[in-house]
Amino acid sequence: MTEFLSTYGVLLVGMVLAAILALSLYLPLMAGQLSLASPGFYAVGGYIAAILSTKVFLADGETIQPFPIQYILFEMLVAGVISGALAVVVGVLALRLRGIYLALATIAFVEILRILSLNLEFTGGAVGIFAIPQPFSDAINYLWIASPLLIVSALFTYRLERVGAGRAFIAIREDELAADTIGINPTYYKVLAFTLGAILAGLVGAISAHFLNTWNARQGTFDASIAYLAFVLVGGSRTFLGPIVGGMLLTALPEVLRAVAGINGLPTWFAQLLRDGRLIIYGILIVLVTIYFPHGLVSPNWLERKAKTNASEAMQRKAAESAEKNI
Amino acid sequence: MLYGDGVGRTSVCLDKIGDMNFGLLLQQTLNGLAIGGVYAIFALGYTLVFSILRIINLSHGAIFTLGAYFTYTLAGEAFGFNGVLARAALPLGLPFPLAMLLGAVLAGLTGVLIERAAFRPLRTRNADPLLTLVSSLGMAVLIVNVIQFLVGAEIYSYPANALSILGPLPTAINFGNETNAIPVRTIQIIIFIFSLVILAILTYFINYTRMGKALRAISEDAVTASLLGINTDFFIMLTFFLSGFLGGIAGTLVGLSVSIAGPYFGIAFGLKGLAVIVLGGMGSIPGAVVGGFIIGLAEAFVPANMVAYKDAIAFALLFIVLLVRPRGLLGRSGVQKV
Amino acid sequence: MKRVRFLLLALFAFTLLALAACAPAATTAPSGTSAAPAATAPAGSSTSGDPILIGIAVAQTSNTALLGQEQVIGAKIAEKFFNERGGINGRPLKLVFQDTAGDEQGAINAFQNLINKDKVVGIVGPTLSQQAFSADKFAEEAKVPVLGPSNTAVGIPQIGEYISRVSVPVTVFAPGAVKAAQKLNANIKRVAVAWAQNDAFSKSETGVFQNTVTDTLKLELVTVQTFQTTDTDFTTQATNIINAKPDLVIISGLASDGGNLVKQLRDLGYKGLMIGGNGLNTSNIYPVCKAACDSLLVAQAYSPELDSQINKDFRAAYEAEQKKAPPQFSAQAFTAVQVFVEALKAIDSKSKLSGMSLDQMRQELNKQIITSGAKYQTPLGEIAFDKEGEVIQKATYVAQIKMNADGATGKFEFLK
Repeated sequence: MTEFLSTYGVLLVGMVLAAILALSLYLPLMAGQLSLASPGFYAVGGYIAAILSTKVFLADGETIQPFPIQYILFEMLVAGVISGALAVVVGVLALRLRGIYLALATIAFVEILRILSLNLEFTGGAVGIFAIPQPFSDAINYLWIASPLLIVSALFTYRLERVGAGRAFIAIREDELAADTIGINPTYYKVLAFTLGAILAGLVGAISAHFLNTWNARQGTFDASIAYLAFVLVGGSRTFLGPIVGGMLLTALPEVLRAVAGINGLPTWFAQLLRDGRLIIYGILIVLVTIYFPHGLVSPNWLERKAKTNASEAMQRKAAESAEKNI
Repeated sequence: MLYGDGVGRTSVCLDKIGDMNFGLLLQQTLNGLAIGGVYAIFALGYTLVFSILRIINLSHGAIFTLGAYFTYTLAGEAFGFNGVLARAALPLGLPFPLAMLLGAVLAGLTGVLIERAAFRPLRTRNADPLLTLVSSLGMAVLIVNVIQFLVGAEIYSYPANALSILGPLPTAINFGNETNAIPVRTIQIIIFIFSLVILAILTYFINYTRMGKALRAISEDAVTASLLGINTDFFIMLTFFLSGFLGGIAGTLVGLSVSIAGPYFGIAFGLKGLAVIVLGGMGSIPGAVVGGFIIGLAEAFVPANMVAYKDAIAFALLFIVLLVRPRGLLGRSGVQKV
Repeated sequence: MKRVRFLLLALFAFTLLALAACAPAATTAPSGTSAAPAATAPAGSSTSGDPILIGIAVAQTSNTALLGQEQVIGAKIAEKFFNERGGINGRPLKLVFQDTAGDEQGAINAFQNLINKDKVVGIVGPTLSQQAFSADKFAEEAKVPVLGPSNTAVGIPQIGEYISRVSVPVTVFAPGAVKAAQKLNANIKRVAVAWAQNDAFSKSETGVFQNTVTDTLKLELVTVQTFQTTDTDFTTQATNIINAKPDLVIISGLASDGGNLVKQLRDLGYKGLMIGGNGLNTSNIYPVCKAACDSLLVAQAYSPELDSQINKDFRAAYEAEQKKAPPQFSAQAFTAVQVFVEALKAIDSKSKLSGMSLDQMRQELNKQIITSGAKYQTPLGEIAFDKEGEVIQKATYVAQIKMNADGATGKFEFLK
């Protein structure tokens, strides 16, 4: 177990962070808005934490080691506020667009931020900012910050799905025109959903900068945008559990394949395929999951069905159904 | 000619400052047109699929890469020393133009395969179009990594005599004179002319053939088209074939100009292609062409001291166009309903 | 029926996954030894034939794989080479490869696997400086020595006590290259610089080159152009450079982008001297710039032409396999493995490695590298390490590329 934790502790932190990032994309999607801007805000949050901790919070001109956790919390606050403010501006401009058009506008936003960070002086260009001070001696302790954030944001999203604002989001997703006629202001709620997602991404960025110990322009990219989208759609886009499951599974997948490749007694070619062709399998699985689980691995129907299976009546009906199908 | 005694040349340059500007204008225009031509061909592949299915095929960048590799293989060139196919080569190499054509056909067939594997199953289930975005991305990941697994990550380039059919070619053609050179790379000019030919053929096909007209009918209104007895499935496959073909051609053309820089060769291109189709109008065929040339020219005309932001131009344009005129320059209205 | 079968298929895939997810915990012992049996065992139980494990964590996938692939080749040659020469005083060495891909998280995961599961004594890697800033910290915490084979950015050895590198920082060789250009053309006054803005190697390198040009040599910097390693068109930059009328162009980039800029500059009629940085120090640029590579000066941390026994052996081994001269990245990876091997030999001669625990071995190995002051005769020439783990390389090289008439092959000719 110790060996497992020491090998995969860091991966666990990565999985938790990925789950929150997936939620940050899920929030605007709740309101029917496909925004791929999360990596942009993630990058902004990370730069804020990286700059504050290496240039501002200094003692005698040196970074503080170990870095106090309350400072990280403060950085997260700043990152959240700035990401949120930026999101309101971008959101008001971009949320007039829908579907793939909004997605493309947010891709452009992310790409423009990336090129800016390559060129600006204070972001350190391609090398980025490094030697970011550490609050913990062991990286697995980042779970103490990351897990509460995941739990809080999951609970928040869970509640949101059941209260006024969240219902407004869903109403807009189902039919924006109808929502408008029953007195829901679509623009307001769309910008709200977008901003909430951006704040979440900014917060994760601030943690990640410390966690990765370095921050650079490669953190917020188009690849990341699409990866987060895959988290949500593979996990399921109709309940908050979907993105969490998707983010965790897809982050763990390459490492799982790496571990499988290391098992003794596998045929050489198979081990080689697992090792060098990990991403081939990753690609195939993404295609398969989208095709065979179009509602994602976790869908509300599935949850309901599972609840129902407790009742024997439902079980019988299901058995009858499957028998029917087999005929 | 350009290189010599530093002092003397500087004064020449000052005398001719007026001509220089005109020369530079001409040179950058030609460069921009050549880049724009490839953007246009590539973006047409995106736009064809979008016009029929209203879906962006994110594996298009990977097909671009694949097309370049297919041509390389068919030309009989050997692979490097890494990957499963280390040192392998076809026993017989095709002449380059034939290899290019066949490579593009293979890329087109791959497009059809992708449609069967990643698009059709979702379409028949009436799945969320966003899912198709993800499954096409899965395909892109798959293709790129299969290439790497098979032939490694090294740089490949086409044989030096690839264009020997055109006779002996200089590396650049001078549009100025001896003292005031306005050189443009020959390959750029060839690519530009070739792009125009491809665009002309495609325009003819779409506007004047039965198949092309059917394609247009489907893109206008798929339901009515199928009621009129047009076999939509066939035409969707045809669209993917054309799209893959164009992507593959674009890959080979860029590979001719800069060599194949590894399996990730087409990814940046794929991203920029998105900007092109938005600028021109999503799903609009003339739009993709116009968008391609505009972005090519805009990139060529970046002031020398702003070159660091060259790659941001396409995306800044994309962002602005979406905000000001979301249907793009030549797109149809009504995109808000999508 | 069809649908059910599909579902089953997908289910099967995921059962496999779920199974795999448990595998690391369940198969802890075997997977730890998968790379080499029994070397993970604590002190005392290992016999003389047990291999000593060295980890190689470089980018074998992602768009960084072109570099990582060269490093893998170099390391594999080293493994074979030193095992044929008696390994570590009779004990074989075995390399364990873990792919870092191109990102930070991937590098961390690879390091964690090597440190905790594969239980290597030292790690060669990662490929990129950015990855090093991230992953090296974990080796430092676990007290596992790391040799960076290609991290050239400022600040790498300073990450910690256990972090060293064999790749000389750019400050060392940049001035030499510009001076070599001045020897070839005494009238150089106007210098243009171009660099890949999204690449950390190039950013560090171009800073040094630009300082050398303006501050040290008091030359005029007429234009600075940037590009991205993923670009496919360089005519804008090439035209801008030519219009600035330079006598010398200095390019910091990687093989594909840098090579293309060289080619497009020549195509457009630039006739003057050009210097390519370390990223262009690879025979991989031949297929890119072809005949236009000719006469390009390259600042080198490694020269295939170096006249020493170890380099000749390395070069012969590389050429036997790859049919071309070894690139810098391969030589540096070879060197990193060599340093580990020789340091382990030195320790073993003092007190038997077989009597040490893994932790002891790792600490002794690091001590040997940074405090012994030992010198290593490597393909890079003679190197040593200072107390911080920074490499002290006796010689850096400037070569000029001479292309053969076929335009496809050529050689890096020593320039002294």
